[in-house]
Amino acid sequence: MTDQTESLAPPSTRHPFVDQLLKAFRTNKLTWVGAVIFVLIVVVALAAPLLSPYDPLQQNILHRLKGPGPDFWLGTDAYGRDILSRLLYGARVSLVIGVAAIGSAMVIGSAIGIVAGYYGGKVDLVIMQAMDVLLAFPALILGLIVVAMLGPSMQNLIIAISLTAIPPFARIARAPTIVVKERDYIEACRALGYGDLRIMTLHVLPNVLSEILVMGSLWLATAIRVEASLSFIGLGVKPPTASWGGMIREGFENILDTFWLSLFPSLAILLVVFSLNLLGDGMRDAIDPKTRSDA
Amino acid sequence: MTAQMGDPVLDVRNLTTSFRIDGEWYPAVRGISFALQPNETLALVGESGCGKSMTALSILGLVPTNNGRVEAERIGFEGRDLSRLSDEEMRKIRGNGISMIFQEPMTSLNPVLTIGFQVTEALIYHQNLSRAEAEREALALLDLVKIPSAKSRFREYPHQFSGGMRQRVMIAMALACRPKVILADEPTTALDVTIQAQILALLNELKAETGMSMIFITHNLGVVAALADRVAVMYAGDIVEIAAVHDLFARPTHPYTEALLRSIPRSDRDMDTLHTIPGTVPPINRMPQGCRFAARCGLARDICREKNPPLDPLGDGAEHAVRCWVRGDHDLPALTEDAHV
Repeated sequence: MTDQTESLAPPSTRHPFVDQLLKAFRTNKLTWVGAVIFVLIVVVALAAPLLSPYDPLQQNILHRLKGPGPDFWLGTDAYGRDILSRLLYGARVSLVIGVAAIGSAMVIGSAIGIVAGYYGGKVDLVIMQAMDVLLAFPALILGLIVVAMLGPSMQNLIIAISLTAIPPFARIARAPTIVVKERDYIEACRALGYGDLRIMTLHVLPNVLSEILVMGSLWLATAIRVEASLSFIGLGVKPPTASWGGMIREGFENILDTFWLSLFPSLAILLVVFSLNLLGDGMRDAIDPKTRSDA
Repeated sequence: MTAQMGDPVLDVRNLTTSFRIDGEWYPAVRGISFALQPNETLALVGESGCGKSMTALSILGLVPTNNGRVEAERIGFEGRDLSRLSDEEMRKIRGNGISMIFQEPMTSLNPVLTIGFQVTEALIYHQNLSRAEAEREALALLDLVKIPSAKSRFREYPHQFSGGMRQRVMIAMALACRPKVILADEPTTALDVTIQAQILALLNELKAETGMSMIFITHNLGVVAALADRVAVMYAGDIVEIAAVHDLFARPTHPYTEALLRSIPRSDRDMDTLHTIPGTVPPINRMPQGCRFAARCGLARDICREKNPPLDPLGDGAEHAVRCWVRGDHDLPALTEDAHV
């Protein structure tokens, strides 16, 4: 029942999930590193118009394919556009698509998973079979199919990526739901006359939320990667809008002469994915059922 | 004496709850009937697996429907028959007209929601109060169940409460909508003895204050003596004896009741006089044909193994009924000889 390792400390007055998060940051310094890097990237993306030295779309044929230097810190591309500025604006595209796709996948996927786990039986079987079918496609292939069908646009990219992320969220929400619904306090809810919808949203969801949020941070990394991959093969955001995947591909044509065109957006992707993984792994360890206080 | 015989608050007639095991239906509660009078405490007593908790869950319609089934001639409450209501209508009664207190206070509260939220929710849900009104009411309830400095503990989580305090919170939630009937399923079993006494005193006090009725499920006859007005002893899904509490303790008639009373440890007697009842309650899919207790009963006759006896009143005018061929008021020639054992 009560956590043995912390039984000597006075019980905390915070929400149990907040405690878990604090523990993640206390016990694992890498979680801090991940969080700091990611927050910096978000701030930079938000402040892109203030930080960018140039207009990311402005072409200048005189300055094309310049290497990194004092005027253009990270150089210019084949159209003479400033790579640093494009990188900053590209962060916005990546984050917006990633957050929108994962946000919607989180909401839809957890709703599906909680319903499946809560009702069990045939409902569960049908829903999870459908999820397994979706899960059978690799994220990139499924994204490819959807974008190819709907046409490349930011909105369709979000739909495509969120579709690939729904099944994992359904699974991650379903597993703890199956455990939680057998708990005495859910029976107590029924004895108080609460309906299924109320029990699922007010009583089951808060108990599975930590798992979902941790999964969210890990999948945000995947979403950004898939977005870059789709943009790389030309199914992403339409040029001339700056996107990291698109920038890598544009640089790919001259990779041997002007490697920085592809290198810097690659590093940006690496940094975001890396920071999110550090953050997500740290939080996942903290909510591990073996170390959880309310398990 | 016991509560006055008027219109019962809860009138259970012929309630049978069955479960499906390997495709066959087996009754866990077999056609039991009882009436709960206003402001009365009826204790349901028996070993584990006697169908006590199932009776409570059946009344509230909380028996899982995928492998359970509840049939009743009538479960009368406020002029309605609960056994015929839809789940939608039952939801308005649960926690509102009839509420339940569970055995395990440590796990019956949601660990990620504050105490205040959980008490407030019931009020908002059933009584359409605004959040502010409901919070005021919830605070009053927590004071009523004697939670010290309730105001400052309102935003705390269950893990910051002790077992006894959590059970008080559970009681506050059950009382939130001023129910007519409380079903208390072993509410003190998981608590320390001193805390047990506090909770029992609290329940008694609240019962007197609010005029509610209570069905108190327990296997502890000491608790029964302290709390109940009437007692129904259950064995293997049957009520085997039902009587006013002092009648039952003064004149335990069913051999099972007698055995239960003999198995209470007493500080003024040697351990030698402490009896156990050999054997266990038969599993519901292997019920004997005759009296369910026959196999463990020292008085069993042939007829006991052939036919289950009816629950007949003892012929002395008191509200005391017993389900026993030997001890009951039966005029079976073969039994008369031994009827006064």
